[in-house]
Amino acid sequence: MKKDLILNKNYLSYWLRQLRKEMQLIGPMRGFKGDFVFKSIGQIHEISLDCPASAPLPKEFVFPHVEEMFEKVFSEQEIKDLQNNDKRIIFGIRPCDMSAINLIDRFYSSKFESSYDLAHPNRKSEDSYYMARRRNTVFISIGCNNPDPTCFCNSVGTGPFLESGFDVQLTDLGDRYFVQTGSKAGKTITNSYRYLFEEAQRQDYDDQYEIMLSALTKFEKRINLEETRQKILAGKVRDSFWEWVSTRCFECGGCVYECPVCTCFNIVERTETDKSPRPPLRAMAFTKGGQGGIKGKRIRIWDTCFFKGFTRMAGGNIPAEKKVMRTKRWWFHKLLYYPEQFKRFGCVGCGRCTITCPGRIDIATISQKIKVEIK
Amino acid sequence: MEKVPTICPYCGCGCGLYLHVDKGIICGVSPSRNHPVSKGSLCVKGWNCYEFIQHPDRLTKPLIRINSKEHTTSKKNPPLPPFSKGGRGGINSSLVTHNSSLFREASWDEALSYIAKKLTKIKNTSGPDSIGVLSSAKCTNEENYLMMKFARAVLGTNNIDHCARLCHSSTLGGLASTFGSGAMTNSISEIADARVIFVIGSNTTEQHPMIGMHMLDAVNRGAILMVADPRRNMIAELAHIHLKHKSGTDVALLNSIMNVIINEGLVDIAFIKRRTENFDEFEKVISKYSPDIGEAITGVSADDIRKVARMYAAETRSMLFFSMGITQHITGVDNVRACANLAMLTAHVGHAMTGLNPLRGQNNVQGSCDMGAIPEVYSGYQNVKDASARKKFEAAWGVSLPKKSGLTLIEMLNASRRNKLKAMYIMGENPVISDPDVKHTIEALKKLNFLIVQDIFMTETAKFAHVVLPAASFAEKEGTFTNTERRVQKIRKAIEPAGKAMPDWQIICELSKKMGYNMDYKAPYEVMEEIALLTPSYRGILHHRLDDGYGLQWPCTDVNHPGTQFLHRKKFARGLGSFIPVHYLPPDEQPDEKYPFILTTGRSYFQYHTGTMTRRTTTLEREQPECTVEINAEDAEQFGIKNRAKIKVSTRRGSIEAVADVTDKIIPGTIFIPFHFHEASANVLTNPALDPYAKIPEYKVCAAKVERIHEERPYIK
Ligand code: SF4
Ligand code: SF4
Ligand code: SF4
Ligand code: SF4
Repeated sequence: MKKDLILNKNYLSYWLRQLRKEMQLIGPMRGFKGDFVFKSIGQIHEISLDCPASAPLPKEFVFPHVEEMFEKVFSEQEIKDLQNNDKRIIFGIRPCDMSAINLIDRFYSSKFESSYDLAHPNRKSEDSYYMARRRNTVFISIGCNNPDPTCFCNSVGTGPFLESGFDVQLTDLGDRYFVQTGSKAGKTITNSYRYLFEEAQRQDYDDQYEIMLSALTKFEKRINLEETRQKILAGKVRDSFWEWVSTRCFECGGCVYECPVCTCFNIVERTETDKSPRPPLRAMAFTKGGQGGIKGKRIRIWDTCFFKGFTRMAGGNIPAEKKVMRTKRWWFHKLLYYPEQFKRFGCVGCGRCTITCPGRIDIATISQKIKVEIK
Repeated sequence: MEKVPTICPYCGCGCGLYLHVDKGIICGVSPSRNHPVSKGSLCVKGWNCYEFIQHPDRLTKPLIRINSKEHTTSKKNPPLPPFSKGGRGGINSSLVTHNSSLFREASWDEALSYIAKKLTKIKNTSGPDSIGVLSSAKCTNEENYLMMKFARAVLGTNNIDHCARLCHSSTLGGLASTFGSGAMTNSISEIADARVIFVIGSNTTEQHPMIGMHMLDAVNRGAILMVADPRRNMIAELAHIHLKHKSGTDVALLNSIMNVIINEGLVDIAFIKRRTENFDEFEKVISKYSPDIGEAITGVSADDIRKVARMYAAETRSMLFFSMGITQHITGVDNVRACANLAMLTAHVGHAMTGLNPLRGQNNVQGSCDMGAIPEVYSGYQNVKDASARKKFEAAWGVSLPKKSGLTLIEMLNASRRNKLKAMYIMGENPVISDPDVKHTIEALKKLNFLIVQDIFMTETAKFAHVVLPAASFAEKEGTFTNTERRVQKIRKAIEPAGKAMPDWQIICELSKKMGYNMDYKAPYEVMEEIALLTPSYRGILHHRLDDGYGLQWPCTDVNHPGTQFLHRKKFARGLGSFIPVHYLPPDEQPDEKYPFILTTGRSYFQYHTGTMTRRTTTLEREQPECTVEINAEDAEQFGIKNRAKIKVSTRRGSIEAVADVTDKIIPGTIFIPFHFHEASANVLTNPALDPYAKIPEYKVCAAKVERIHEERPYIK
């Protein structure tokens, strides 16, 4: 018998309040005028439980826009690590985001499953900055009773409810939450407050199943990424098509910044000198930064493969100089290379690029176009 | 982590975004999903607008030039800013190094007292009109209002201007006489439903990306997009028809389009009769511009001219957009009038999804004009020569005000060169990079007895200052910005100002107190109240009303007014719309044997203006780290120039070195240079010839030559 739990909705804020005593609590809140944002929660009752399915993404809490890595005072030997070890609990993320985080976990932590690194087939390449944040973060995700018009997780198998791969998953059953725990961290935060939960009964399982079925009927999009992939692999999608797509790209980077799966970053180094009145800051190599500098920091910031400079090489050569090459690469990475490496698409169907892409060439729209126009 | 809703500090689209703040550090940006302009999107500048805010180069304390007492006129001049190549990669280091031996830190009290003393002395000895003030399109409405109040009420001069002079003064001039209001007539949210979009002289997708997004939406819904531009930029690639007319031939192009419309009977006669005047005279002029003559002047085929004319006129929902490609000419005002004529001829004004839409470049350039940071008007375009307007402001401010209009930006610099202007107070502008003919600008600044620069970074201009005041950035203060569609929106304070920096409005208030005029405001909302009191079009715009919506579009004439989506409904602002016939005049400088190219300048997508902010943003600086010259492949071959080769571009005023970008995106005979780079400043080259009415310089056309620099090194960066 499964040991799923039920949480009376009246107890939710009490539970969260207790959890907040141990760690930072982050959740969806009302932003400005109908917007929703994920941020630190001030008043627990202000959490937006009515937040639409595809709210802005919480990726930044494990993989922030700007991450300070380490700092060095040049006159000293030591390097100060700036790794972030804050404990966080993130409430209200969606199954698609949770799936994306699982995918990023694999990307940043485990050995590569393909043969990219032939010399070290079993090498572990762990990103300590990401993993430090990740290990200190617990997610309470909420299944989606009402998918948004842009969502297509059902076609990729990443939502609207997960079978596994979550810490705690809540399903809204009207007056109560159906609570599933899927990890040790998840068990800890429920077990410590076990008195708030009841054991789920037959009726609860039935209700949960009912909700799941009804959610599945509400999807407006049916996107078949596999079909798109097959067409690309078969060479049916010609360069002229990508050309058409890329003329619409504004090179804003939004699709990558907003995508819960994307992980690109750029590393820059900055040195500070003690010249008054204000230290200039340079992005140059640490070794060189030593000249005249007193202190330097290495940071990493979000980057995207849509930018020309992303692949600029030391000699100044840019392999993907043309916009069409960069557009294509994004698609190929998501639909060809990810499956090769991780046996999953590099897209969890969250539909955020549909919302954010000013050129209207997001993954759903273009997949649909390929489906209809390319036989 | 807190997320503070605010407005993007870059272009005139005025996108809504959230600044992410964690423990007092700005650590990211996200778009606002429901904002009427950005709708969940941002362009690359918006996405990266957080990085410069807490950059270590920020000015944090007032600085006073050492020996500034001796340094009066010409003896001890500061060295020229380096026009050499900057540091490698990332953030450009030579941009930020400032010779610390030139300045010493000072307290606010000392710096402001010193300024007050100096300004008072100059005012008393040489008269108030020997002082010039430059306000800023990057600052809030409140700050611009206070700056113009400071110039007029405290200093007693109408010598106040700002960089709108360099971008859209011709729009204000041209539309004031035809429509009676110089702003974008319609709204961004209408674009997606338009049927025909005609863009002339605007690189919309790169310079107003989110407006470009709405245009693309319209195209996706079946609208026809027509673009007139000598460069094949992104918007032109998306266009159904692209007219590649020669730079500076816009009047001829528009006149011949109108010629077709009149000859083919596509005019809206009822509209012309009811709503406009002076049609007959206008018609006479237009009759001289047959499409064939148009073709001869512009290089656009007569057939294309006919096609565009028919399409624009035949559809009711036709929107006309223009920007710097129209305004930055010696015929800027004429160009704008021609656009206005076209809109009136076909009744494409005064209802939704039509209109004449100048796209304003900077985040608050609309607002700074509205606030009267221009020599001839007070806030709300109330003329300083109008006795009743002046009386109103005199009563409110409790001083008597100068009657005669002041000097414009370029005129101030000229006056300084002739020793007529003794002091300048520059807030948030960088004329050394942004104004035409850098050599002359520097000469003018060096001649000044006293120069105050108030900015967030040590700009190339600040290096010439006697006092540098540290200002707060957009994330460190409250206030309002007015975007290009006249939407007044609130920005919100996310963090405390860097070091001892102060918001511009506070600096102005403190300074005027020191000069004996009590400017006393608790916060920007009090300033807004005063603006509302004195400015009819802003009367209903108060901070508390802006809190619960996405701003208000002026005119908003009382506190219950919902704002105005489009202008000139039922009646033009000036009563009857006026057809003002305009003739084609060639640009001031034509290519000749010695200087065979037409040089046109503008912005690039990744950089912004003089680069003080974007060049301190890792991603943006990486994408466009250096000045590139777009040159057509044919021309390049003829001159033996390879892609990415170093070349020298010269005009009669100077020369710069930059990297060639050999492309087919620009027509033969024309080259394009962005103006952001101090190490290769396009404005060393540009021609300071002015439009006779608006005094806007001709940035878009001058004659240039191109030479290969011998060692053909590969592009190294
Ligand atoms: S590609 Fe688009 S839909 Fe897919 S996960 Fe990324 S943002 Fe979501
Ligand atoms: S894509 Fe699926 S899991 Fe993600 S928000 Fe939409 S419905 Fe929920
Ligand atoms: S969001 Fe769209 S326009 Fe922006 S970079 Fe991605 S594909 Fe290009
Ligand atoms: S379009 Fe303009 S306002 Fe919008 S994000 Fe880009 S620069 Fe900022």
